[in-house]
Amino acid sequence: MPERRVSPVAVSQTSTLVTKTGSWKYIRPLYQDRVAPCNAGCPVGIDIEGYMSLLREGRWDEARDLLLLENPLPATTGRVCHHPCETSCNRRQFDEPVSIHAVERMLGDYALEHPPSLTRAAERSEEVGIVGSGPAGLACAYHLARLGYGVTVFDAAPEPGGMLRLGIPEYRLPRRLLDGEIERIRALGVSFQCGVRIGQDVPWRSFLGLFDAVFVSTGAHLGKDLGLQKENVAGVRAGLAFLKAVNRGERPELGRRVVVVGGGNTAIDCARTAMRLGAETVVLYRRTSAEMPAIPDEIEEAEREGVQLVFLAAPVAFHAEDGRLRAVECVRMRLGDADASGRRRPIPVPDDRFTIEVDTVLSAIGENADLAGLPPELAVQESGVAADALGTTSRAGVFAGGDVTNAARTVADALGAGKRAAVGIDRYLRRLSDDGPNGTGLPALRFGNGNISMARWRDADPVHRINALNELVEFDDLNTSHFRRVRRRRDDRLSLAESRGGFAEVNLGLDHEDAVSEALRCFNCGVCNHCDLCLIFCPDVAISRRANGGGYDIALEYCKGCGVCAEECPRGALTLTREGL
Amino acid sequence: MSQVMIADRVPTHELMTSGHLACPGCAAPLAMRLVLKALGPQTIVVMPASCWSIIAGPWPQSSLKVPLYHTAFETGAATASGVRAALDMQGDRDTTVMVWAGDGGTFDIGLQALSGAAERNEDILYCCYDNEAYMNTGVQRSSATPRGAWTSTTPASHPEASAKKDIVAVLAAHHIPYIATATVAYPVDLLEKVKKAKAIRGTRFLHILSPCPPGWKFPDEATIELARMAVACRVFPLLEIEDGVRWRFTMDDDTTEPLQPYLRCQGRFAHLTDEQIAQFQSDVTARWKWIERQVAASE
Ligand SMILES: Cc1cc2nc3c(=O)[nH]c(=O)nc-3n(C[C@H](O)[C@H](O)[C@H](O)COP(=O)(O)OP(=O)(O)OC[C@H]3O[C@@H](n4cnc5c(N)ncnc54)[C@H](O)[C@@H]3O)c2cc1C
Ligand SMILES: Cc1ncc(C[n+]2csc(CCOP(=O)(O)OP(=O)(O)O)c2C)c(N)n1
Ligand code: SF4
Ligand code: SF4
Ligand code: SF4
Ligand code: SF4
Ligand SMILES: [Mg+2]
Repeated sequence: MPERRVSPVAVSQTSTLVTKTGSWKYIRPLYQDRVAPCNAGCPVGIDIEGYMSLLREGRWDEARDLLLLENPLPATTGRVCHHPCETSCNRRQFDEPVSIHAVERMLGDYALEHPPSLTRAAERSEEVGIVGSGPAGLACAYHLARLGYGVTVFDAAPEPGGMLRLGIPEYRLPRRLLDGEIERIRALGVSFQCGVRIGQDVPWRSFLGLFDAVFVSTGAHLGKDLGLQKENVAGVRAGLAFLKAVNRGERPELGRRVVVVGGGNTAIDCARTAMRLGAETVVLYRRTSAEMPAIPDEIEEAEREGVQLVFLAAPVAFHAEDGRLRAVECVRMRLGDADASGRRRPIPVPDDRFTIEVDTVLSAIGENADLAGLPPELAVQESGVAADALGTTSRAGVFAGGDVTNAARTVADALGAGKRAAVGIDRYLRRLSDDGPNGTGLPALRFGNGNISMARWRDADPVHRINALNELVEFDDLNTSHFRRVRRRRDDRLSLAESRGGFAEVNLGLDHEDAVSEALRCFNCGVCNHCDLCLIFCPDVAISRRANGGGYDIALEYCKGCGVCAEECPRGALTLTREGL
Repeated sequence: MSQVMIADRVPTHELMTSGHLACPGCAAPLAMRLVLKALGPQTIVVMPASCWSIIAGPWPQSSLKVPLYHTAFETGAATASGVRAALDMQGDRDTTVMVWAGDGGTFDIGLQALSGAAERNEDILYCCYDNEAYMNTGVQRSSATPRGAWTSTTPASHPEASAKKDIVAVLAAHHIPYIATATVAYPVDLLEKVKKAKAIRGTRFLHILSPCPPGWKFPDEATIELARMAVACRVFPLLEIEDGVRWRFTMDDDTTEPLQPYLRCQGRFAHLTDEQIAQFQSDVTARWKWIERQVAASE
């Protein structure tokens, strides 16, 4: 027997690692990314939290590619989108929302200066025809091309872009940027045939026969009448037709005084354009500024440029002399109860009238889709084509999206609809069903409760996210103790004189440094940024970094389920689940 | 950046292991873990009876990767003085001798040994992790228990009547070279203080507030938040005192949170009325003002 030395006092030779304290717990931490509310609030469905995280690490090219995976036109949306993402941004409840649109714009411009080589999935034999090259048609074409399909886009106008080119003024969206973004789609192999009105130049029946699937995205271009007498008198014009003329390079004669009727983007664009042509401009809107559907920044900009806004007023009669408009008679309105849209209904105050002397009236009270120009036997609902979330219509193989359906009329919604229809068409052509074997059910494809994620559809979540769970990170899920308040940067503006004097871009966005500062303000809700706080605060040393930066491991055999890590995680990338469930 | 990043300021090596026996969410092991990160492996720990005697694990196991002496409740500072003397006799001036004691073992039963060591300016680092009662034996009050708190010996009908003993002022009166307060909610502040203490010779005293989920009656996951709140509402100011005379705040932001939410989220204060809380608020404010005067006098 070997001699054993016994020490005079009890000395420990082993560590407590033999005690598996993990058996104590009844909840366990789950290390998994989640979805940020900005993303769910974006009608396009953009992994904003993901690209912000990449930008934070200086991985610009990957951030660009992640953005372009979901949004084909970021330089455009960064300028003209009404950015509901910022309304949903968690940072709003801390100090001010992240200026997401400005970061998107910077990254969109970066993508034009540093073009990526976009990937296409394996080639497919099917051909898809797209009618209408607005944002809906462009998005559908882009995503289908990246999914491997042959795509041809038709448009009645001489150049592609839809309302982005025809309606939105140049001072909000410089055309070289739009051209650059469309060029990128063309470079993917999409062909464009412009100057062709389907249904007129080519009959729908023969057109539909040419393709395996068709996407109808013809928009809403018919101006609504004001419904007043003498509306045909010289001097009363349709606002959208006026904008289209200016965008073609014409400079229509308006006279000295212009009244614009309406409260949407068309109305504000008409007013600011008329002002640039030298007219004194008044906007008449029948409700108050709070109900105005135009983008608030644009309204503010119009006022800054000298457009006068008259609220709670509507035209009731035109006064003409020698067949030319001289004045418009208006009635005052008051707000009654909420209507179906939730906005308060304007009610005329009968005897309260006033008259404005005027040379031109531009009517901009909304546009209708041209239902007569649609393919035959396509079911219509309310004032648009009936289509489901994936653009499926009443006719097999015919899909629709954007302003021609009953969706919200915004560029982002159109881009989102185009993306969903691309998924719908892909599923249709590959004969996949809702509850297909590979997680093709719709909810699993969404970003939280937001739009469909192309990353998920293509199963190509490329760069970063740790198998993101389809749950939203609410403000209460964050731990804001770890953040400091940082001022939100405001977009730079062209000087007033330069703005009024021409069609140069007015909103200059943020300079590089400020845009980066905005990206760094982002909480990166739901995206682990390897800040180590969970690891540092775990009282049980149960969290460790994986080799080569791939996130963290939780030693569940020792974790006691205290929840400290999940509580301290600043961004909801760790959550607690019931043990055994 | 908007997030305060601390990852690269916290050493990655671990001198404490998993499998220790602290309650879930206890701040005491976290405090030890952070302190040892700053001290490094050349450390001997002396530990009087306390929760940590259990956390360290039953024989023949230990949750520490450095030598650890379990010692009698009242003898932390005296034992450490002996260990120090033994090392000195071997010519070892580099090993840090650290006492790791609870508030009972420091404020009450170990105070005479501590006072003696401090008076002799023994070359030891004395850390008190303060969970504000005798937790290991079932939440009996100590002289570190705050006024108004429930403990098993101060039931809600007769809650703690005396104010918490001002232990740093007691130690300051010994004019030892370095005294600091810290919490687990501010790891970088804690690490900096330990590093500073390590480089100083003589008696150094570190007072670490250590929230205890079962004893204070709050949910396990709120440990860090509680420590953060204690600092923010000025119940536990983060301080440094040099030579007993130079006082300094180590927090750079001067926002103050009210005391009420800190007390209201702990079951041990559930019986307090709003009037009592208002009274305690003025106690906290008065002590803060007193410290401010010490700080001002140091400048
Ligand atoms: C003046 C104005 C300003 C706006 N400003 C903003 C803004 O700032 N932000 C925002 O989010 N939204 C704005 N909008 C709304 C936005 O432009 C639309 O919601 C969006 O463009 C709709 O996209 P779409 O692809 O559905 O249709 P469109 O962009 O309208 O494109 C439809 C295209 O289809 C073509 N077409 C139609 N019929 C046929 C046919 N039979 N054959 C071939 N081609 C055909 C048309 O020529 C057109 O190019 C604005 C709208 C207007 C009018
Ligand atoms: C002389 C002596 N009296 C009583 C005890 C029993 N005892 C062991 S730990 C402990 C409580 C220690 O309280 P504290 O120092 O505050 O440490 P905590 O357990 O709260 O962490 C007591 C009373 C003892 N070990 N020795
Ligand atoms: S598209 Fe619009 S809503 Fe989406 S991220 Fe960009 S600005 Fe925000
Ligand atoms: S903080 Fe960042 S990730 Fe969170 S909602 Fe705002 S933009 Fe999105
Ligand atoms: S902090 Fe550590 S022990 Fe607590 S739940 Fe997280 S991993 Fe488990
Ligand atoms: S605390 Fe930091 S490192 Fe840990 S999961 Fe959250 S973001 Fe990632
Ligand atoms: Mg104690």
